[in-house]
Amino acid sequence: MSAPPTTLAPARPELVSDRFPARRPAWVTLATSGDHKALGVLFIATALAFLVLAVVELVLMRVQLIVPESTIISPEIFGQLLSTYGATAVVLFGIPFALGLISYVVPLQIGARGTAFPRLGAFGYWLYLAGGVTLYASFLYRPPDAGVNPLPPLSDTVFSSTNGVDTWIVGVGLAALGFVVFAINMLATLQTRRAPGMVWRRLPLFSWSAAVGGYVVLVAGAVMVAACAMLFIDRQFDGVFFDAGEGGSPILWQHLSWFFFTGAYVAILVTAFGAISEILATFSGKPSFSHRAVAGALVAVGALGMLAWMQNMYTAPIPIGWTYFAMAAALALTVPIGLLLFNWLATLWGGALRLRAPLLFALGAISTISFGLAGKLAYSVIPVGWQLDGTTAAQAGTYYALVGGAVLGGFAALYYWFPKITGRTMGEGIARASFWAILVGVHAMAIPMVLAGLDGQPVDIYKYYDEGALDTYNLIASVGSFVLALGVLLTLGNAAYSARRGVAIGADPWRGSTLEWFALSPPPPHNFDVIPDVRGTEPLRDIRDAVRHRTETWRPPPVERPPAAQPAESSEGARGGPPVA
Amino acid sequence: MARPRTKPATSFASRPGIAGFLGFALLALLVLPSAAHAAPFSPEPGHSPNADTTTTIYWIMFAVAAVVVVAVNVALIGAVVRFRARRGREPARVRAGRRVQPRVGALLGVVAVVIFVVGIVTTTQVRDVAPSGPEGLEASSARTAQLDLSLPEGDSEPLRILASGQQWVWRFEYPDGTFSFYELVVPVDTTVVLQLDSTDVVHRWWIPELGRKFDAVPGRTNQTWFRADEEGTYDGQSAAYSGAGYATMRARVRVVSVPEYQAWLDQQGKDLQDAQEAVQKRVQQLGGAEAGAAVAQGAAE
Repeated sequence: MSAPPTTLAPARPELVSDRFPARRPAWVTLATSGDHKALGVLFIATALAFLVLAVVELVLMRVQLIVPESTIISPEIFGQLLSTYGATAVVLFGIPFALGLISYVVPLQIGARGTAFPRLGAFGYWLYLAGGVTLYASFLYRPPDAGVNPLPPLSDTVFSSTNGVDTWIVGVGLAALGFVVFAINMLATLQTRRAPGMVWRRLPLFSWSAAVGGYVVLVAGAVMVAACAMLFIDRQFDGVFFDAGEGGSPILWQHLSWFFFTGAYVAILVTAFGAISEILATFSGKPSFSHRAVAGALVAVGALGMLAWMQNMYTAPIPIGWTYFAMAAALALTVPIGLLLFNWLATLWGGALRLRAPLLFALGAISTISFGLAGKLAYSVIPVGWQLDGTTAAQAGTYYALVGGAVLGGFAALYYWFPKITGRTMGEGIARASFWAILVGVHAMAIPMVLAGLDGQPVDIYKYYDEGALDTYNLIASVGSFVLALGVLLTLGNAAYSARRGVAIGADPWRGSTLEWFALSPPPPHNFDVIPDVRGTEPLRDIRDAVRHRTETWRPPPVERPPAAQPAESSEGARGGPPVA
Repeated sequence: MARPRTKPATSFASRPGIAGFLGFALLALLVLPSAAHAAPFSPEPGHSPNADTTTTIYWIMFAVAAVVVVAVNVALIGAVVRFRARRGREPARVRAGRRVQPRVGALLGVVAVVIFVVGIVTTTQVRDVAPSGPEGLEASSARTAQLDLSLPEGDSEPLRILASGQQWVWRFEYPDGTFSFYELVVPVDTTVVLQLDSTDVVHRWWIPELGRKFDAVPGRTNQTWFRADEEGTYDGQSAAYSGAGYATMRARVRVVSVPEYQAWLDQQGKDLQDAQEAVQKRVQQLGGAEAGAAVAQGAAE
């Protein structure tokens, strides 16, 4: 990229390296780096690897449910798959995938040369990886088997005497601690490392979602670390936090864990919302319909979403007033989420939509999330929740929202920023195949699940009995999950292939308007040679306008020459020959 | 479709993306409203007053959700069809005016408040314990009671049954001390208050036709109620993961007439007593407390 134009503030020289870098193998550099881009790549790659595991576990469970009273997988193994799957999909894939994108993109977007606490960021990643490895190391002896959310007393030593639940606790606890540490790093970066002029109201929308998601993860993750520590004390050191017989309360775990899982849900969705907002603006060629309203809605979704954790506890023995509070928080979410949908559609309206892979996935994400959140709206009304919570109907809503947010929304962000990360684009044809497979798969899986849930099929069962149309519903849902898995694997293969063999492309392939496209692809370790002054919500567009203005109004400066020599010189020049030095 | 016809019709079919989106929209438009009145999307038919209320609010919320889904998806597809980039189209760089967002927000807020009020009203209806009907075990005067509070004293106590969850079966204890496993037998048209507790882990009581779910948590006794309006059997299944055998933790409610219920209760009591006497006789035959402990242990296992 050529030097930035001079309408910007003069270049501020900055010392970015104080010694000649030692020559080390690439993997050592990557593994010891505190650079936000290296950590972003590590987070994204690890999260996608865990996504493959989650998909495998989902497919295995759906294979078991193809026919009634199936005996392919034993109840014990099914319980282990189920317990590992829940932690993998949300804790080891959903949150870290969002954090990885945030880690890579946000410092670039705000014009920073790095994060505030690079080593803290690295510590966060390695804690998360340690958590994931701990959880999967349990497959060497005994995996966890106390369910997606291991509720005490089932998860206490009386009913789960093997160490499986301990690996769940330690794995999820370590990962949650890693997220908290990483969120501290990102929030401090957002607070202190913004480029000159990058005030909060000009902060790009994805960075807004990173700020909101960061605070949500900070609070919810800390609660989960505490909850895991308490359950570990109960199991290993005769604690009684969750033991009803000794004055503790099993309900306490439900509050703490649901607070975390709700926070995870909110953080994943908010990050997806931020990425979708950026992608829609870029690919419609328009500014976001209202930058301020979208940023405000993202903050409101984070704040209100966190308050709605008891929406998962309608059937628990808690005072009815608390469920009214949860219903109020959940219904209040209608306003910011409705505003987001309105602003997205208004951003598309009147634009010139380039239907490339990122936009396609973003549109699919909005569509799929609309199914999930409309379902959540219905289930948030208490009597409907009493009837359908804990059935596959409610689970279908969660699948819609999380596949829409983490998979379609996350993949949209991956397709969008992949050229920045690697300097290459991902294949468009495979992207389309993957998109349609995911979209068809998620509907084919979720709609029969709704129907089965209405007929009384609860979640998490390893077998069902041949009653009514349950066999048909589960067969279709299983086939749908296979198609969904195929779609997910297509995009992952696309990314793996394109990382080395994709079409090489410039620094700004999509004509973005935010500062990450100002850096090279992939960016150098210090991100920017020159940090631009920010004067609006579309800083790169301002730079482009300034460049165009300069180019169009540029005139060659008057040449000062001795008048006597002019005739001979000009006749030489008119022939077009290069001047001889 | 208000799509400007600037291109020949053939180019339309050559765009699989748009065709796919349109097909999807048509599918959603056809399936959702027509299915709303067909069997698949309807919950299990209610056979208890609280289940009937639940069905009503379910249909209201189903309609709201369907409107949201259809509106969002049709608008998305409309935007893609109308505003797809083509030669000569310049994006209109418009931004929101000052008044748009507050208005949209206020509209959404009103919708949320209305749903909240309807939600509170129906929740109260579901929780109010209805009195037993005329054909019930104890006909009573009209009165209601909140479950969190103690039921008011009167001549019309509902039938209280203790339902106790354990891995992986429900145990029902009737007022006279008789008990049964798996199958709960109740008289028709009688208000039954179930007192739920658990001897081990968290279980979740649910009979789809007879109203709400409720958790059975060790250390707490929770109450739910139903009043079956028709004789028959209603099946349900625990809906909270409780370990390896969770999928087999089913329950059946058999609703019978009042005389049948009385007869069943007597027979069950007699059967239980006979069984206990048989056990005692066996213990005496084997002789001593040691054998008794062995038998008891065998029964426990």
